[in-house]
Amino acid sequence: MYELLQQLLGDSILVYVIGAALPLLFILPYALVTVLLEMKVSAHMQDRVAYMYTGWHGVLQPVADIVKLLQKEDTIPGVADKTLFRLAPYLVFMGSYAGFAAIPFSSAYIGSDIDLGVFYIVAITSLAVIGILMAGWASNNKWSLFGAMRSAAQIVSYEIPTALSILVAVMITGSLNLQDVTHFQDGGFWNWVVFGGPLPLTQKLLLLPFTLVSFFILFIAGIAEVNRTPFDLPEAESELVQGYNTEYSGMKFAIFYLAEYANVFLVSAIVVSLYLGGWTSPFGEFMSGPIWGFFWFVAKGMFFVFMQIWIRWTLPRLRVDQLMYTSWKVLTPFLFVCIFAVGFILVV
Amino acid sequence: MDLYAVVFYAFAFITLAAGAIVVFSRNIVHAAFALLFAFFGVAGLYVLLMADFLAITQLLIYVGGILVLVLFGVMLTSNTIDVQMKTSTIQTFPAVLIVAALAGTLIGIFWSTDWKTTTDPPIQATAPKIGEMMLTSYLLPFEIASVVLLVALVGAAMIARREKKA
Amino acid sequence: MTEVRQYFGNVWMAIYTAMVGMRRTFRHLFTPAVTIQYPDVKLKLPERARNRLYVNIDDCIGCDQCAMACPVDCITIETIKSTPDQDLGTTSTGQKKRLHVPKFDIDIAKCCYCGLCVYPCPTECIMMTDVYEFSEFDRKNLIYHYSRMTPEEIDVAKEKLKKAEEEAAAKKAAAAAAAKAAPPKQEGTSSQQPDSTKPS
Repeated sequence: MYELLQQLLGDSILVYVIGAALPLLFILPYALVTVLLEMKVSAHMQDRVAYMYTGWHGVLQPVADIVKLLQKEDTIPGVADKTLFRLAPYLVFMGSYAGFAAIPFSSAYIGSDIDLGVFYIVAITSLAVIGILMAGWASNNKWSLFGAMRSAAQIVSYEIPTALSILVAVMITGSLNLQDVTHFQDGGFWNWVVFGGPLPLTQKLLLLPFTLVSFFILFIAGIAEVNRTPFDLPEAESELVQGYNTEYSGMKFAIFYLAEYANVFLVSAIVVSLYLGGWTSPFGEFMSGPIWGFFWFVAKGMFFVFMQIWIRWTLPRLRVDQLMYTSWKVLTPFLFVCIFAVGFILVV
Repeated sequence: MDLYAVVFYAFAFITLAAGAIVVFSRNIVHAAFALLFAFFGVAGLYVLLMADFLAITQLLIYVGGILVLVLFGVMLTSNTIDVQMKTSTIQTFPAVLIVAALAGTLIGIFWSTDWKTTTDPPIQATAPKIGEMMLTSYLLPFEIASVVLLVALVGAAMIARREKKA
Repeated sequence: MTEVRQYFGNVWMAIYTAMVGMRRTFRHLFTPAVTIQYPDVKLKLPERARNRLYVNIDDCIGCDQCAMACPVDCITIETIKSTPDQDLGTTSTGQKKRLHVPKFDIDIAKCCYCGLCVYPCPTECIMMTDVYEFSEFDRKNLIYHYSRMTPEEIDVAKEKLKKAEEEAAAKKAAAAAAAKAAPPKQEGTSSQQPDSTKPS
């Protein structure tokens, strides 16, 4: 991708700017689609129909929402810390957008082909924690601060299972670069890490239970990291009135929302790249190539976005102690077992 | 000025400006948040030095861990919702003395060191090398560090644990 | 050992119950929605639904009982006595009308749809209809004027009453002089007469 851009534009900084902006071209329409998807899926799961009047079955409603949000007055509470209040949404979005730099969208495009891709994503998304804390603090509203605190505590504790379950996949693939991880899984769905990767059959069968477990745990911990139901304690409408973004309105609120949806896809993208073969075709050579790769990647990613929506509209919110119990007493010990077992199987 | 220099000066400026805010801001929370950009700028400088593992670890540990702790500390220490926390300058003279001495030492070291330049191509993949080194040549320090951390963890759990009333 | 079993039992329970819930929501994803697209499709109202008030002013005898029954005082009625020479006709229930009704206003914005005004009406001329869409841009438009008497007619009626009272006072015993017939009633132009089936 960069070579192509360099041929087109010559060796200028523009090449990198365009390369960095490409994921945005994906995220913006994706967010519109997902807002609609979330509304439609939630409505139909509750036997409702959601938007029906803006366009065919209300497909234009997200556009209308954006126009509304653009027009809305941008209020800042009088007692808020104005500098931090303005900065926070951008920091939150920056945290999730920066994560997209190491996501391989197709065999031809990855924002930054660095050696430590997943590790970088885990690290850079912690910017969002600071952004959330900043938003909660700057709002000068005790519920917002509560939400921000909960969010930070939650993200910090769920970083452990996330990192450990990433580690399981990394142990099998032997690389932290998601592009290499994806190449490793090329050649059909039976080569995906969730099914043990392209290893000899006996090893695959031995690995299968552990990879399945860590795959599930990565998904669960990912949902918790992006603060979505059933782990949406930081937003908890019933107690905290949206938590850290209560005081935000207009475009700043929209950016929080965009960051949330970007995060939802980021989690799906990590799960897909690590365990489900990323942009590789599930049928070997059939329908493979850079364009089809992008299609497969987005299709798999959207499936997990749908899963997250599905879970959100099924399960109720956890209590704080249950949340911490799940992270420290269930997910982490299970992953330790997985890591030991996978290491043992790979070495022996 | 090539791209490298532009990026270097950008990160250097971010680091220094944020550091200045940390030092001069009267608002403790602002100082804590400015620390984020200081850490971030330093991480950027590490990347420019081809130390990607160090850069990412810097982000993960300082931004994701220590800064969050600092913020929690600042936010939870007192009744901070209404009170504007301010810092003030006291003991200017001793501070100036110490800072001057420290700066003098550092600058002295900077001038007296024989900075070597190498023409070797930088190592592209640092992580495998670092991992190998940690588990072979530097195993003992690595293990000692992990034991220290384990002790800290156990201690923290001990302190945090509420005594069950009999 | 029981604790270990309980731990794994809990983990299994968490996964299992989540699956049960997700299966249920997935099934509902494909069940037809129960939503009624309101302005396009309307629910049939129950037979005795109480919505907008309607007054059949032809049957009103001006007894003021509905106004007295109203708990929120949204009905305002003024009446003028008719003189003996006037024939106001009879209501559809056969009662003789003795009072002019120059003003019969209902402030429907105040109405609480209790229906208490309906029961006392001796001629059953005030009733609740099934019209519920009558939003307005101006609150004034929600005050419905049911009286059909024009200001001239009201003046004439008042004049007549005054004259009749004077006459009655002056010559009680004498027979009433030949009186002019009341001008024929005309359709009201100043009053608003909401249709009972369409929102005004």
